[in-house]
Amino acid sequence: MVFSSLSFLVFFLPVFLILYYLIPGRAKNFVLLIFSLVFYAWGEPVYILLMLLSSFVDYCDGILQEKYSGEPGKKKLFLIIALAINLSLLAYFKYADFAVGIWNSLTPLDVEFPHVALPVGISFYTFQTISYSIDVYRGKIKAEHNYFDYLTYVSMFPQLIAGPIVRFSVVQKELHTRTINEDGFVNGMKRFIIGILRKVLIANQIGSLFDAIRTAGDISVVTAWLGLLCFTLQLYFDFSAYSDMAIGLGQMLGFHFPENFVYPLSAVTLTDFWRRWHISLSTWFRDYVYIPLGGNRNGRVKHLRNVFVVWFLTGLWHGASWNFVMWGLYHGTLLTLEKFIWGKKLEKLPVFIQHLYTIIIVIFGFGIFTFDDLGEMGRYFAKLVGIPGNAFFGKEFLWYTGNYLPFLVAAVILSFPVYPGFLKMLEGRNNLIKKTVKGIGAFAMAGLFLLAMASLVRDTYNPFLYFRF
Amino acid sequence: MEKDVQTEKLNKAESSDRVLVYLVSILLLGFVIAFIAADKKSFSENENRYLAKVPEFSWENIKSGAFTSGIENYFADHFPMRDAFLSFMTEAERLSGRKEINGVYIARDGSLIEVYDVPKNTEKQIRQFSKLAENVSDARCMLMLVPTAVEVYSERLPENSGYDHKQKQVIEHIYDSVNEDLLTIDAVDLLDKAGDGMPDERLFYRTDHHWTMPGAYEGYRAFCREAGITQIPLSDYKRSVVSLDFKGTIYSKLNDPYFGSDEIISFEHPDWKLEIEYSDTSELTDTPYNSEYLKQKDQYSYFLNNIHPLITITNNDVDSGALAIVKDSYANSMIPFLIENYHTIYVFDTRYYKGGPSKFINEHEDISDVLILYNMNTIDNDTGIGGIY
Repeated sequence: MVFSSLSFLVFFLPVFLILYYLIPGRAKNFVLLIFSLVFYAWGEPVYILLMLLSSFVDYCDGILQEKYSGEPGKKKLFLIIALAINLSLLAYFKYADFAVGIWNSLTPLDVEFPHVALPVGISFYTFQTISYSIDVYRGKIKAEHNYFDYLTYVSMFPQLIAGPIVRFSVVQKELHTRTINEDGFVNGMKRFIIGILRKVLIANQIGSLFDAIRTAGDISVVTAWLGLLCFTLQLYFDFSAYSDMAIGLGQMLGFHFPENFVYPLSAVTLTDFWRRWHISLSTWFRDYVYIPLGGNRNGRVKHLRNVFVVWFLTGLWHGASWNFVMWGLYHGTLLTLEKFIWGKKLEKLPVFIQHLYTIIIVIFGFGIFTFDDLGEMGRYFAKLVGIPGNAFFGKEFLWYTGNYLPFLVAAVILSFPVYPGFLKMLEGRNNLIKKTVKGIGAFAMAGLFLLAMASLVRDTYNPFLYFRF
Repeated sequence: MEKDVQTEKLNKAESSDRVLVYLVSILLLGFVIAFIAADKKSFSENENRYLAKVPEFSWENIKSGAFTSGIENYFADHFPMRDAFLSFMTEAERLSGRKEINGVYIARDGSLIEVYDVPKNTEKQIRQFSKLAENVSDARCMLMLVPTAVEVYSERLPENSGYDHKQKQVIEHIYDSVNEDLLTIDAVDLLDKAGDGMPDERLFYRTDHHWTMPGAYEGYRAFCREAGITQIPLSDYKRSVVSLDFKGTIYSKLNDPYFGSDEIISFEHPDWKLEIEYSDTSELTDTPYNSEYLKQKDQYSYFLNNIHPLITITNNDVDSGALAIVKDSYANSMIPFLIENYHTIYVFDTRYYKGGPSKFINEHEDISDVLILYNMNTIDNDTGIGGIY
């Protein structure tokens, strides 16, 4: 199931919230667990067993580690077993076809493709269960004794299938006692509504513009760049909107998840960008890969090795395809260069130039990210510089921008902290103006929510105009 | 990298946020109630299809995911105020300055013109058309591919839409590739000329993907020219407006009353003495029109009484000659003009007529002419192409 669907908005969510608020105390976790399992099974009726298995392994691992806390050797062994199981499941269900493809291209022995369908959310929940086992090992958290509470954490539907990657340490306390009140509902629901609007009215709209540009045959250089900008905006709004919805849903239930995106497209350096983009993933790699490998402590060579291991894995995490690896290494390389070569000089340049520098690297990078067919990537990238002889500017640019102008403008403005800045500016001024602005904003957003529903209805509208059988 | 940024801890909610959240909550609860309470329709007139039913609750269905996707479909199909939501979305996009919505251009004259997608099944069409020509032994075979509004009214398309006359190129490609025995009929030039010469006479509907009868008459002229047949002047026919409130198939894609509706013009020849037989229903009529359909959504079915595998039209006002037409719905408004040229016309719809028309044609010695007629807008998705042989 996805949040931005009619069945979730008008069926799952209301029924769930009513039951969740009505049922008292600890039983709320049970409601949350049941609905989370239904939520997952809705799209993956079979693979739910995999999630149950994965969470059971780490639950047992926590208990065993605790039991043998006096024997470091055994404790370590249990951790290694749990990690091996988690990573093997991830490797098989996500990377088997990719690995077989590589094997077949390198060796004369042809292995048949296993054609494994990717279970939804496996990359997210595997990382959560791994972080749990490691944190227990490190003594950062106590093992959870109640399997159902642990399963509730892993399967919790707000963050189950697209993050943020919430660590057990963040929610352990709230899993047992949390404050649920009307303020939390209002704040959380508002955040959720904002997520729906960003997903449906920005990401989907800009996404259809990108599709149009991607599939168009002849486009000018300017349009090719517009296409990549669109993909960047689409990805940002899609992904961060999902985090908005997850965080908002969590808040309604009394949980506080970490922020995952903080205006990444307004970054002034690439380093800055990565502090703002998919934060729960980059901090995960920092804490569970980069630092354990030694971080930057053991000399320049090892430091560089660690950086590239992390970026190779970050790329690969996004998908079983070479372009993701390329995307990861591209960022790793440029971050290293920025750190050691031009970072200091960059800081002295005008802020506008810093923005431009960052956004061009990011946009081009997402070009690598979006084309998993390397041939198509090459053909598209050639158009960015006019290699096939396409003009610098064409009328189709006016067509695309004309059709989507309000959405493009809104997307760009919302990529920067303009509205929070505006509210801050009103701070301390005439209270009446501030109230009026916020009041109008509330009604406008309710209207936009209705429009978002209209957009979802249209997606299901499916005229069968010419043939009736 | 820096520390995890925690969501700000529970703040007091602001009153403006309360307004928003409770408005939306009431809205969602309202829809829950409306969905449960509403009568569920089984057929959507606007979409011309049956709506989803509640899926069967079985272990097999659950395991395969068919149950949940069935529920999703049921939910989507029976969502309260679906049609109104569609109008709302279209209207919002139109006001945002969009000139292409849901695969439809909003033309400069306010009419709706479907985007022409790059065709995928052209080679199959070439094969099937040629096959029919090879199989027919004695009669003369002709092929007419009708350009649609996107081509004929290309100068009315919105600014910068960049239509490159692809339809015309595809027609030329098919004409160059088919069996040489097929006489190909160019309808582009006469329609283009009529479009320029009579800008106020609509050759295509504003809200539907078909041509009008005046448009079809230009197709008839092209046919007469190539086939060497005497053209009956339009002034011989009685012209009447039979409907003023036709909202066609393109309208259904947008469902926005802003785009208005069409009138349907119909022509009748005073000398017609007709017997029209519909093979599947064995119904007999004396007119190619069925006014019953003018009261329904699907008003275009007025022409030739909607869909039938084989229709036999006999005009006792004409002594001889028989024509077989293998066609889509475009032919339905052109066939009335052919009636005064042939004693008998056999009309095949190969979506439903099985066994291939050539067998029938070879068995009927009276058939001297065979015409294949399709429009370029829907030919690529026409499920009857495989039945042409």
